[in-house]
Amino acid sequence: MSSAKQSAVWDLQTRQLLLPKIGHDISECEDVIALDTQSCRFAVADGATEAFDARNWAERLARHWVERQSTLTSEEFRSWVATEGRELHESWNSLSLSWYSEEKARNGSFAAFVGVEIDLETGSPSWKAIALGDACLLHCRRGALLKGLPLSESESFNNGPVLLASDSSLHESIMQAVVTDAGVCENGDVLLLMSDAIAAWYLQRLEKNDLDPDEILRTKCDDELSQFLDAERLAGRIRNDDVAILRIEITERRIN
Amino acid sequence: MYSAQITRANPTCVILLIDQSGSMSDPFSGDSSRKKSEFVAEAVNHTLHDLVIRCTKTEEVRNYYHVAVIGYGRHVGTCFSGPLAARNLVPIAEVADYPLQVKSSYKRVSDGAGGWVEIPVRYPVWIHPTSDGKTPMCEALTRVREILQQWLTQHPRGFPPTVLHLTDGESSDGDPEEFGQQIMSLGTDDGATLLFNCHISSRRSAKIEYPTDEISLPDGFARSLFQISSRLPSNFLAAAAQLGVHAVEGSRGFVFNGDPSSIVQFYEIGTSLTGMTPYRWMDDTRTEPA
Repeated sequence: MSSAKQSAVWDLQTRQLLLPKIGHDISECEDVIALDTQSCRFAVADGATEAFDARNWAERLARHWVERQSTLTSEEFRSWVATEGRELHESWNSLSLSWYSEEKARNGSFAAFVGVEIDLETGSPSWKAIALGDACLLHCRRGALLKGLPLSESESFNNGPVLLASDSSLHESIMQAVVTDAGVCENGDVLLLMSDAIAAWYLQRLEKNDLDPDEILRTKCDDELSQFLDAERLAGRIRNDDVAILRIEITERRIN
Repeated sequence: MYSAQITRANPTCVILLIDQSGSMSDPFSGDSSRKKSEFVAEAVNHTLHDLVIRCTKTEEVRNYYHVAVIGYGRHVGTCFSGPLAARNLVPIAEVADYPLQVKSSYKRVSDGAGGWVEIPVRYPVWIHPTSDGKTPMCEALTRVREILQQWLTQHPRGFPPTVLHLTDGESSDGDPEEFGQQIMSLGTDDGATLLFNCHISSRRSAKIEYPTDEISLPDGFARSLFQISSRLPSNFLAAAAQLGVHAVEGSRGFVFNGDPSSIVQFYEIGTSLTGMTPYRWMDDTRTEPA
């Protein structure tokens, strides 16, 4: 019997995929994935197609959030989003806009957002997350859903989610829809950050129990996965929308 | 049916067909200050503005719609003039780029803190009020059919065309039913062309909106228009519900004896193709001093 003392080190393995709508170029994709593996902060934002400068808004939210610390409470989040929105609107001031772009810009930009911070320093890894809209965090264990944030059922997805507005005059009502949550992970747990169409598909697959969606995400190479998802879209099983997938697998490594 | 995604590769077509006969110079009942033709021109300009804004992606307008505005009165034909003169169906990006003028106004909006602020807005103008001549409705419907036939040969797939017909009186060149049915017989693989009719009146008569049957209709003309009004597909019903308009499964896209608010709702419901929230423009506004 070994008497050597063992301790656990937790590792993160990440895999990401961005896919534009069928018939669109990747440069037109308004989903954004951002990650900082040092600080263990991850985010997905989904710019609203009908909104002005939606990709920039989504990119600003996702990239700047992972660069920050905390911003995991509704109060901190609201203050930060207001600053980001103001800076976005200021960036438009120098543009010479047509009448229609001016009209569109006046309504500001909108995006769904989900961000998660993982703490690997404690005995059991834990996460804290914040979300608004229909971009989701799914916490899965051995192929089963433990928690979904902010949505956990495929039927909950519709075309009218509350989204993060760049115009802070809209925040009074919008920010009431911000959702925060936390969880504890075990060896082999998977956290998925996804935009709405792929999250709805993933949840539906779990609900129908007809195939293991995580195995598809885990085992297929990027090209195979892109082709598979395109086929699912053409078959009508995934809405033809941009796709963002960030898969984070948490594994334990024993060291002497 | 009526579920195809509207894309640049598969755009849809919207035709606004408007009565420009002499009677359109009469005012609405109870409002002697404004001619029907003035209100209709304003509603058409706002509808075009709405369609442009929906298709605007930052600094680009995507051609999700091909749009025509066809008038009938002394003449039958396109209402576009200036750079778009003589054009029937125009891609929405070109509509965006060639208004006749762009007016500036202010709009009152919530400041988010319980108060109101006025913000500048732009009101582009594509058509001016016109009211002259008789009501050659059959000829106008024939022109629409010809435009659609040509467009459909190039766009056989995708969301079917929508024709929004607005009139204030009976046809002067015969019963329009046969001509309307011809339009409704055309379509794409996603459904038949949608033909909606809005009849407006200068008289104080009870308005009938989005009926499911003919029982309440007062005369043969109303019944003819009912017969050439398509049933509202589900996404149009959802738009009606958002606007607080009573419409149910089986309701026709038909208004009889409509008033100004009927026109606004008719265009908002009729252009709610993608299920997006209709753009609201009936807010307090005032024209910027010259």
